Formats: sequence, C-alpha cells, structure tokens
Amino acid sequence: MQRRAFLRSACLNSLAVAGAVGCLPVSAWASDTENMALSVEQLPPLEGDLTLYLGRGEGGLYENVLEAIRKRNPKFNLQVRRGVTAALANTIVAESKAGVRRADVFWAVDSGAIGLVADAGLARPLPAALTGQLKPGFQYPQWAPVTGRIRTLPYNTERVTPDRIPDSVMALADSDLSIGWAPAYASFQSFVTAMRLLEGEQATADWLKGVSERAKSYAGELGVVMGVERGEVDIGFANHYYTLRLKSGKPEAKVDLAFTNNDAGCLVNASGILALSEGDLPINFIRYLLTREVQSYLAREAYEIPLVNGVQPPQGLPALSAISPPKLDLTQLADLRPTLNLMRRVGVL
Amino acid sequence: MTRWPSSYPLAALIALLAILPIGVLIDLAADEAALFDAHNLRVLSNTLLLMAFTVLGSVLIGVPLALVTAYVQFPWRRLWLVILAAPLAIPSYIGAFTLYAAFGRGGEIDNLLGVPLPAMDGLPGASLVMILYSYPFVMLTTRASLLSLDASLVNAARTLGMSLGMSLWKVVLPRVATGIAAGGLLVALYTLSDFGTPAIMRLDTFTRVIFVEYNAFGLSQAAMLSLQLLVIVGLVLFLESRVRGSREKPGRHLTLWPDRPQRLLIALLVSPVILLAVVLPLAIFAVWLAREGSAGFDLRYAWNSAHASFLAALCAVVLAIPVAHAAIAGRAGRFMERVTYFGFGVPGIVMGTALVYVGLKLPFLYQTLGLLVLCYVLRFLPLAVGSVRSTAEGLDSSLVKAARVLGASPREAFQRVTLPLTLRGMIAGAALVFLEAMRELPATLMLGPTGFETLATYLWRVYEAGYFGRAAIPGLLLVLMSALGLALMLSGERRAELEVSGK
Repeated sequence: MQRRAFLRSACLNSLAVAGAVGCLPVSAWASDTENMALSVEQLPPLEGDLTLYLGRGEGGLYENVLEAIRKRNPKFNLQVRRGVTAALANTIVAESKAGVRRADVFWAVDSGAIGLVADAGLARPLPAALTGQLKPGFQYPQWAPVTGRIRTLPYNTERVTPDRIPDSVMALADSDLSIGWAPAYASFQSFVTAMRLLEGEQATADWLKGVSERAKSYAGELGVVMGVERGEVDIGFANHYYTLRLKSGKPEAKVDLAFTNNDAGCLVNASGILALSEGDLPINFIRYLLTREVQSYLAREAYEIPLVNGVQPPQGLPALSAISPPKLDLTQLADLRPTLNLMRRVGVL
Repeated sequence: MTRWPSSYPLAALIALLAILPIGVLIDLAADEAALFDAHNLRVLSNTLLLMAFTVLGSVLIGVPLALVTAYVQFPWRRLWLVILAAPLAIPSYIGAFTLYAAFGRGGEIDNLLGVPLPAMDGLPGASLVMILYSYPFVMLTTRASLLSLDASLVNAARTLGMSLGMSLWKVVLPRVATGIAAGGLLVALYTLSDFGTPAIMRLDTFTRVIFVEYNAFGLSQAAMLSLQLLVIVGLVLFLESRVRGSREKPGRHLTLWPDRPQRLLIALLVSPVILLAVVLPLAIFAVWLAREGSAGFDLRYAWNSAHASFLAALCAVVLAIPVAHAAIAGRAGRFMERVTYFGFGVPGIVMGTALVYVGLKLPFLYQTLGLLVLCYVLRFLPLAVGSVRSTAEGLDSSLVKAARVLGASPREAFQRVTLPLTLRGMIAGAALVFLEAMRELPATLMLGPTGFETLATYLWRVYEAGYFGRAAIPGLLLVLMSALGLALMLSGERRAELEVSGK
C-alpha cells in the first residue's frame, strides 16, 4: 500500500513527459537475491535532519523523487541546497577548509565532482551491502553511482545526415558542422577532462579552439538539445537523456542521437552520491535512491540508465553493448581544476 | 572647542562597514595574481560596448519621450507617462528571459504565429534589453529638467523665425544637457551591475564571468575581476558626482498642441518600445501561465522574498538615520555619507563574492539569512540614506530650536519633532530598499540559506533548467510587486519629477 502511494505520488508529480508508460508497479524482479535492488518496503523509515547538496538546477524529476521520499517519511526533515555541480563540490571543499560543514550528503550529476570531494578526504565509507547492489564496474567504496548517462551527439535530422557525422569526436573540430555546446555545464567539463586524460593537454586545447570557432554556447545541455532541434546549430554535445526526453514529449522532433567510437565523445559517466557526515541517516538516505522504485522511475521518466542490478534500462537507447565507451576510471574525472584552467586559457569559459 | 555631532561615531562605523567588501576583495585577489589576459580584454570590451550602446540607445529613446511627455498635449497624458515609465517595474532579467524565449526559431512567437524571427542574444540582444528597461531613467531625469525651464526663450526664438525643431535643438536641449547626462550615467551604472541580462543573452561581461569563476569556486579570480569592474564603476560614480543640475527660475511651461496626424505619428513611434518592453513579457507570461498553470510553484518563495526584503528594509532605514543626520551635521559627516553610497555602485555579484568569503571566515554567519540581509543592506543603504536625508533637510530647523528653547532635551526634540516629521522619508526609503532587495538575483543565489528559495532564485532555476513555463507565476509576482513599489514612488517622493505640469 505504501509503495503504491510512493509510486503514485512520484508519477503524479512527474512532468508532462507525454507517452510515459503507465506507472505500473515493478513486477519482474520477483527473484530478490542479495545483490538485487531493494524495494522501499524493505528500508527503515528515515528520521531526523539531513542537508543535501543537490548538484542539479532543474525543478523536475529529482525533485519528485525527493518529494516522494519526504512524503513517505514524515519525521524526515530534508533541506536541499541546489547549485551547479562543480560549484557545490568546490563549495564543500572550501567549507571544510574553513572548518564549516553544512552538507550531510552530496548528490552530483557527474562523477568528476564526486571524485573532487572524495579526493579531499571528505567522503565517508559506504557499507559493502550497499555498494554490492550496484552493477559491476560501478562499485566504489566511498560513493555510489545513482544513474548512468552517455555522452552523445544530438543532431538535427533536417540539416545533417548521419553519414556527415564523423565517428571520432576529435574529427569534429575539423568538420564543417555548426556546433552547440554548454562549456559551463558540469557534464561537459567532465567530458573535456576525459578528453584531456585520453588525448593529452595539447590535443584537447587544439580541439577546444577548433570547435569554439563554430560553436554556439548554451546555458545547459537541455538548451543545447533544444537549440539543435530548432535548427540553430547542426549538432551538439549533450548527455543522452535530454534528447530522449525531448523526443518523448515531442515525437516529431527533428533531432536524433549519434555516437562516436571509443573516445571521450561517448564516455559513460554517472551521477553519484556520497555521505559527508557520519551516522546511519545519510547511508539510509542513499539506500532510498538505489531502490527499485527510484531507479526504475528515473529510467522511465528521466531516461537515465539505472546502475543497480535488476532494473531495466530506459527505452529508446541503443544497448550498452552496442556502444564503445573509452576505458576510464570515473573517479579520475575529479581532476577538474586543470580542465577549467585549460578551458579558461583557450577562452571558452 | 568644537563638539562632534552625536551621530558621527555611528555613521563612521557604518561607513567603515560599507567599504568592508573592498578590503575583502583585495585580500582575496592577492592570492592569485592573474591580473589580465586576453580573455579579460574581451570581457572588458564586451562590458564597455554594452554600456556604451545602452547609454546611447537610452538617450535616443529617453530624450524624445521626455520632450513628448513634458510638452506635448494629448489625451490621457498621465496614463501615458505611467505606461512609458512602466519598464522600470520590470526587472531587466525578466525582460531578457521573455525576449530570449520569444524570439528565434522555435521561440514562442514562432510557435504561436509561425513567424520565425531572428534570435535575440549576444551583444545586440543584451543591448536591446538593457535599453528597453533603462531608458526611463533618462526620460525621467530629462523630463524633470525640461519642466524646470522657462518657455519664453523658446517663444522668443520662434518669434525670431527659428523653426520649432531647431529651437528645441538649439535652445532647449543644451539647457537640459546635465539632466540627460545624469540619466545616462545612471543607466551606465545600472548596466555595469546587471547580471541576469548578459547571462541570459550569453554575453561575457564582467558580471557573467565573475559568476562563472565563482561557480568554479575560483574566488580569487572572481575577486580580481570584481576589482576591475569596481574601477569602472568608480569612474562612472566620479563622473556622476561632477554632474550638477543647473537650476533656472521656472517660468511658464512650453505647451505643444499636435494635430491628429502628428499624434498618430508619435503613437506609432512610441508603440514598438511599449510593445517590446511591457506587452511582450506580460504576454509571454500569460501564455506560459495558460500552458503550465502553477506547477512547481510554492507560495513560500514569495514569502521568503518578502521576509528577507522586509528585514533588509528595516535594517537599512535604522542604519540610514545616523548617516543622514551626520551628513546634515557637517563636512566629515557628508564624507561618511558619500562612503556609504559606494555600496550602490557595487554590483550584487561582487558584494556576494566578498560576503561568501566573510561567511567562510565567520561560520556563524555562513549561509544564514543574516548575511543575506547584510548584503542587501550594504547594497541598498544609499537609497534609504537619500530619502531620509532629503526629508530631514527639508525640515525647518527652527522647530527643533523652538523645542529646545521650550526645554526639551536633544533626545526629546528628536523623538517628538524630528522623527515624526521625517517618517515619510523613512517609509519611502524602506519601500525602495524592499523593492530592490526583492529583485536582487546573484547575491541571493550566492548567499541564501540552504533551501531558501525566493521568487528571483526560483525564476533563475527554471531558466537554467529550461522549464520556462514555470517562470510565469514568480515572474508575474515580481512584476506586480515592482509595479506596486513604482506606484508608491510615483505618489510619494518622486512626485515632483513626475507631476504632469501646466495645471
């Protein structure tokens, strides 16, 4: 009954993502083994005060998840500070240097920012039972990936044919396509960090310079995808789900996804969460985000890729096996400072 | 032996507080000495170009409108004046937001009418928005000067055979040049400190780049940029202090009676401005409201806005009283007053950067409502000081002397004579501070307590997330509150400036 209520409120609050499949309770996961996603039914209720730094500006789906958790736990007082992911990560580090701690939990849209905080020695270790539920390759002792996202190239189907799109992201700098990007956006900066680690400083600087000559800047990557759809630019850089969400609300949208091959252009990144203060409450809160209900909700409504065992991936995305992401340890993406310096030096930030 | 007026120590303390941010910024900037690079040069030129275009455009629109509203007789003059001043009630970032959403391929105008218009962004877009929302400054200052002129000079010129246009150009305009300059400098100041418009129009000006640096927590670089911006602001403030209004003995007002085609022509010329600056934003909000309703909006945001702004208004007025009295009492006090004026020139984003750092040094202040209110007070104190002082100056000092002769102590004289008579100024000052605090965006984003969402920050959040439709309610509420404030101003302090003359 309570789970129903949880799901219903989550669904009712969802944005007008037309065509969303009905809010059917998950049923396919009857064989609850130890390493499978738990249901919210199996979790202890949350009680007490918790401050979450949420590295996400939008007033949408993550909010709905938090709202549903609040409704389910009336004795739980959750304060949320929203902001740009990188800014919040830096804030947390600056706060700890000043001897101040305001956040108990940090939920970031990309793992680079998580790594930044973890490298500063601020993350509390997570219990093995919690990390064990995550898919292989996504198990880390100090933080938990929540959902995955793939770097993609959304392109305007009226202005470009797929064969004009190079399958190497580096080659894009020399193409004649007009490009939309969001250099101030955390996911983009993580992508540049990946490029820096894979291709080196100089190649990345040249690439940024080359692209910036034909690039139009947007505030965020939803803006990029909308700009591509409107035909303001031929092609853009954005996480996969913005395109899928746009298309689900507007099936005739003139935008489709292209993938590059084995380079930073198709990096699989993850949003992640870590605990900054001790105690059970932060850990149990993280457990809620890894439940079947939340994971399948985010997959269904937000088109994000669930990273807990036994939850189905979103529709409209090629199978992960069809994509060839580069091999890269996600926590290395924490090395953000040189990226920002580089971007600033080249004049794109 | 000279006794220092009793208001001096307090005023000196407040003045000291007002320049605290500069000290903080210098300290911060000392960390990293990247004083200037190629990127900075672009930022500098963008900022100066935006300022120049905005001032130029505001003069080109504001001066003719001032002439029309001051001299030309047509029906419903008062209404027209209010409508033409109405862009003041709309924070420019709201204008930028709605114009940005309306224009371009796939913009709202394209969606509704199928007419794809060129996108509104970059330097042209930002300039247009800034002009639309700041020309009333020039219009109002120029109009005030125009109304203080004597028409007989124009009449003499015309009797001697000069055409009307020529006589306006050669006889009238030179005498209101200071009024125009004062308005232009206000516009320059406003443009320098605006954050939302360049951010939404994606133009790298100082304020936008400072925000990017702050978000990467490059506090020292943000501080360095802030200091560079403050140098420009200081220059404008200096120029402003040089502009002195020349006073003529007011005489008969010039009155022009246009015929029908002329009236039509005027209306035709004025309408694009009103359409773009007032009708379009409201129409876009109406469309969004109809489409999305009140989804996601929480009344608490409005309450938070009002609550913080009210506290700021209250504190500002309380602090303004000693400063205003010190300013009247003597030269040293006047200097202290000038020092507090500095805060108004400091853009919110710069003040925010400095105070975040203060907060980290003094954790009991960090992320508290107190620090946010302090920021508002430091920025908007001059508004309160100005209106408290002008009413206090208008006070007939013989009343206080009479009270003293009749045996009242200075304290009693203040409480029973001065205070009641200056209450109006205090309320006007408080209203101004309240309004400005309500609209302040970047400082609120940086300093607000966790979970403390205001109308302005919520608006910014939905813009960033691309959920434009959700901006309707907070946007309309902000405009409504600003309009109420403007009405208060029109009926109070600024009455003299806006009074329709010739009656």
